[in-house]
Amino acid sequence: MDELDLLKKDWKKQESTLPHLTYDEIYRMIWKRSHSIVKWIFIISILEFLLGTILNIVLADDDYWHRMEEFDLTEFTIVAYVISYLITFYFIFRFYKNYQTISTTDSASRLMKNILKTRKTVKYYIAFVLISSGITFLVALFLIIRNHMMTVEPTSKDMHFDTMQWILFIGAIILILAIFLGVIWLIYRVIYGILLKKLNKNYKELKKLEM
Amino acid sequence: MNKELEHEFVKHLEKHQNIAHKICRIYTNDQDGHNDLFQEITIQLWKAYPKFRGDSKFSTWMYRVALNTAITLYRKKKRNIKTQDYDTVHFKIKADDYNDETEQHLKLMYDAIKQLNDIDKALVFLYLEDKNYAEISDTLGITEVNARVKMNRVKTKLKSIINP
Repeated sequence: MDELDLLKKDWKKQESTLPHLTYDEIYRMIWKRSHSIVKWIFIISILEFLLGTILNIVLADDDYWHRMEEFDLTEFTIVAYVISYLITFYFIFRFYKNYQTISTTDSASRLMKNILKTRKTVKYYIAFVLISSGITFLVALFLIIRNHMMTVEPTSKDMHFDTMQWILFIGAIILILAIFLGVIWLIYRVIYGILLKKLNKNYKELKKLEM
Repeated sequence: MNKELEHEFVKHLEKHQNIAHKICRIYTNDQDGHNDLFQEITIQLWKAYPKFRGDSKFSTWMYRVALNTAITLYRKKKRNIKTQDYDTVHFKIKADDYNDETEQHLKLMYDAIKQLNDIDKALVFLYLEDKNYAEISDTLGITEVNARVKMNRVKTKLKSIINP
């Protein structure tokens, strides 16, 4: 007897052990894809937060705090940390909320609204990272220069910048800041850009079905 | 209109879900894999549904789309799948239905099927589903002669896996 024919008989008996999904379970499944993308956004934001925290702890050793003290930046650093952690926590909370709403959504129009909301949250988050990086950079620079001017006595006229030198100096700072922010922006484009693109595609598909 | 389409689709799929579950059993090794594949099949079917609109039977169309999904997904994941990983949750055979020897033999057969490549699995699946060669060739998009030839090769392959 053919081996497969033996199996064919058993195959029919297997039918009784197959799982059975209800109408609602299948219905929810149609919308699951966005759910998993939003879940990833949530997971990545947490990973990013953890990585940032670990880097902070590792980099901020006694030596670091000592230097901060030298530049008179201790208070600024602490305040900047607290504010950025609070805002980051808020965003993680928002990502989680988005994830939760999308996983319980069962209508197409509401899902579309939630997708738009998630996209907006991610954009705000990236804007927050860019703005806070820029501000931190500028404030730290300002404090360092002020500190330097107060502690170092000008010994000769060479220590003073003339107009041209100031322009060059500010130009250089703007350039460095632009590169610095550009790199951060690029990293975020890659991390969240891919997910946002998928989310957007999903949104368009849903919209097509709505029409 | 859209709501109607949704309702119609889910009703169809609810009725014919066994097809997808059986494909999942052939292509996946554990419950998580089963659920993932089932979900992916559902999504692909739903995406393709507007193009379906009754030019053939829903089940016939579903065989084609679902198998294509499984084959594509299996190709992507090929490296992660260990064919030896045999989960006993799958193909649960009630002990009192069989004597030990038959049971043992069936287990070997299912194990052997798990080791086939994606296309061969599709062939075996359709064969087990009692499809004739015309239907098999239609579902997989190959000629009937080709289907016969491939099926014979698969049978030989299975035999050589079971009796090396």
